Amino acid sequence: MPVNVALGHVSTDFLIAALVIYSLSVVAFAGDFAFGRPRRAGSVARVQARERAAALATVATAGAAAAGPGNGPVNGTVDGPADAAVAGPDAAPAVPDSMPEVAPPPLVAIRQAGRWVEAAMALSVIAVAAHTVAIVTRGLAVHRAPWGNMYEFVTALTCVAAIFFLFVMIRYRAWALGVFVMGAVVVALGLAETLIYTAAGQLVPALQSYWLSIHVTAMTLATGIFFVAAVLGVVYLAADRYNRRVAAGRAEPGNGIMRRLPTTEQLDRLTYRTIVFGFPVWTFGVIAGAIWADEAWGRYWGWDPVETWAFITWVLYAAFLHARATAGFRGRRAQYIQLLGFATLMFNILVVQVFITGLHSYAGVS
Amino acid sequence: MTDVRAAEAGPSGTPAAERGQGAPGGQDRPDVSAYGLADWLKWAWRQLTSMRIALVLLFLLALGSVPGSMLPQEGTNPAGVQQYYTAHPALAPWLSRLGLFNVFGAPWFAAIYLLLFASLVGCVVPRTFRLAGSARTLPPRAPRHLTRLPRSAEYSTALVPAQAVDVAARVLAGHGFRLRRPAADGGADGDWVSAEKGYLREAGNLLFHLALLGVLVSVALGGLFGYKADRLLVQGDTFADTQSALDEFYPGRFVTAADLGPFTVTLNQFEASYITSGAQRGQPSSFDAQISYTTHPGGPARTDNLEVNRPLSVDGAKVYLIGHGYAPVFKVTDARGQVVYDQATPFISGSSGNFLSEGVVKVTDAQPEQLGFTGVFVPTAVEINGILQSAFPAADNPAVSLIAYAGNLGLNNGVPQSVYQMDTAGMRQLTPQPQLLLPGQSLKLPGGQGTITFTGYVPWVSLAITHDPGQLPALVCGIAALGGLLLSFMVRRRRLFVRARAGGKAGSPQGSTVQVGGLARTDASGGFEEEFASLAAELRAAHERAAAPIPAGHSQHEGE
Repeated sequence: MPVNVALGHVSTDFLIAALVIYSLSVVAFAGDFAFGRPRRAGSVARVQARERAAALATVATAGAAAAGPGNGPVNGTVDGPADAAVAGPDAAPAVPDSMPEVAPPPLVAIRQAGRWVEAAMALSVIAVAAHTVAIVTRGLAVHRAPWGNMYEFVTALTCVAAIFFLFVMIRYRAWALGVFVMGAVVVALGLAETLIYTAAGQLVPALQSYWLSIHVTAMTLATGIFFVAAVLGVVYLAADRYNRRVAAGRAEPGNGIMRRLPTTEQLDRLTYRTIVFGFPVWTFGVIAGAIWADEAWGRYWGWDPVETWAFITWVLYAAFLHARATAGFRGRRAQYIQLLGFATLMFNILVVQVFITGLHSYAGVS
Repeated sequence: MTDVRAAEAGPSGTPAAERGQGAPGGQDRPDVSAYGLADWLKWAWRQLTSMRIALVLLFLLALGSVPGSMLPQEGTNPAGVQQYYTAHPALAPWLSRLGLFNVFGAPWFAAIYLLLFASLVGCVVPRTFRLAGSARTLPPRAPRHLTRLPRSAEYSTALVPAQAVDVAARVLAGHGFRLRRPAADGGADGDWVSAEKGYLREAGNLLFHLALLGVLVSVALGGLFGYKADRLLVQGDTFADTQSALDEFYPGRFVTAADLGPFTVTLNQFEASYITSGAQRGQPSSFDAQISYTTHPGGPARTDNLEVNRPLSVDGAKVYLIGHGYAPVFKVTDARGQVVYDQATPFISGSSGNFLSEGVVKVTDAQPEQLGFTGVFVPTAVEINGILQSAFPAADNPAVSLIAYAGNLGLNNGVPQSVYQMDTAGMRQLTPQPQLLLPGQSLKLPGGQGTITFTGYVPWVSLAITHDPGQLPALVCGIAALGGLLLSFMVRRRRLFVRARAGGKAGSPQGSTVQVGGLARTDASGGFEEEFASLAAELRAAHERAAAPIPAGHSQHEGE
């Protein structure tokens, strides 16, 4: 079927629009850092499982947590009977109870986070919508899954990263991370647009298979998720370095950026959960790729360079998951491992697929 | 994932705590010489099955794979290995000695993954027993102070403690928790219930690791009992799946030529189409090989279409279309005027694109001297700066360019020769310049040595024939691994405790105070917090319902 060129242009226009709106959302996220109300990341009461203060937090403590930028348990209501009752109307009257906090719904949480976050979230959602439209129209223009070459792959994986991160940000109230992840999305998308733009086109016969939709979709999803994990890892390392410098007396405590970030424990847990989400998807992608390889090349695994590097990435993320459960590897070292895993993933996409001749040489980058 | 592996001590230090378990006698700071071989083996085994060593082995596995992608490998790119030998004559033999041209078959690579799997077995098998044990044991007794647990809630109810715990137990049982209540005489400890759920997590974890072992076994199965073969088939030709008819045959260790399925395949027609305009001009858009095949020689013929991504399954093997090219047809008459060669000769396209292909024609029957030709075939001939190039991969303007030789082809000296290369050592060049021929044109060889006519061309395809009995087991194990992974990530092992003490909180002597505590032993995907909050709310609502005045005729607590 011939390529619908006009629709291809529509797709490109939407992508440019998405890029611009993403940039604006990054500005708004940055504006929250610069001018927003001072607060610790809103996720403090929700994510710190170890702090039983959080478990006991009531409506009152949520307010206390929002006010206090400190590191420890910030509320004085741990055992106190002063807890405001959150019981229903038919509860026994005037009994001082402590029930687990029920988080406010996302929209309320966003409103509580202030104007800048509200604006940034609205812009992010619009940008993601435009990005999605761009990808869908590209798919309609070329009559196939729109991730058949490098350019399409990068645009799709950044879309996955943005959607996935929106979800993470809302679920964990991690507004402070928006500037980093959306910033990275802007950079990746901008580079794709300027360096490896490829007009809508047909695929070589080797890629004309429904396995393209399965294998490459899974790989795109996993890469987008690992992308988010990598950004979180970098933020973790920055925060961890700052904490250690403060502990060593080589940095002033109370840095304006650092104190807005989630704690390193929270970042660590967020990274872990992100990778826990991405790892099975990657595993599925590898298995689907093996099935496709068996259909196309007559063997399910042949140590083709791209297969080899997908395997290396898999092994390193598996190592991360094990490292987090191993004394001496938790925290910083585990983060180094996952960043190394992401580095091998990027190496696979940017170097192996482009410069090393193998069966996967479809990048379409000249 | 394998967070049950105990945090272990450093490899060299072997502190007393760790040693104490392993060494019989269990001295605190033992003299190293006091250990026998058995103790060292035990120590080594404990090291090997430790998470730290597993991590190191995972790293080595990743690191060891790198040269397999950076250097040409004998399995996937034997020509690349040859080129590497030519380009780096000093280095290549050393790399070869280290197995770096065959990384994934090298002993050191096998050592890494076998150690890793040994480590895995050493970790997983004991855990299987532990899981089987834990499936039979009850959850632990409820701690005294539930508010010290990571998650807790406290509220008062009008029910007496025993009733309150009964209600709580019913709610938790309804959620599929395994329960434990105090023993009948254990009144001193108060009223409580312990609940545990999520045993499937550990089962999933084990399934994942065992399935990985299964993948390894499946790969080995394929390597031992499977085979791979290649065959170049010119349009119109037939081949049978016998060893002599195959160009390359790579049998597994336990495979003999007798195991080959005796099917035959004929290439009736091959068509490749290309994009003819735009930026993607010249990119292939479809390949289609029309074949007929029989499951055994003389059997009924069936037809099929082989395409990329669409192999043929026949007789336990699969036949794949993996490449194609052009075979120019030449007719050669020798000095006597006899036709001594008239056939399609497959030419192989290099990397220069657009199917500029090279090949040789060896005319062994020519008299008085053998004749040989080296040639280039171009499907769409153009001349750029005096050099023959191909402008398009389809045969729009086919041409060949030949250099003729006469002499001894050297085929009788016992050294096997490739059909795509010619040894010109015993030959002299007849034509000083390459001679361009269009279809139908002939080249008269100087000195009345004969004539060669380029009569036309036919396409050829290269087929891969594989048989891999490990394929299905590998797929099953792969899916099982994924399933185990999902189980171990999505299921969380968690415990909930409920205690009720007499006396309401606000000084009320009636009723009781209920404490709910919870902890997740594993919570990879998050969400225990929400689950606990909702369970605590549900428990409280159940207690309120149970304490509320009930319409007449309805007994309040069946359990009492």
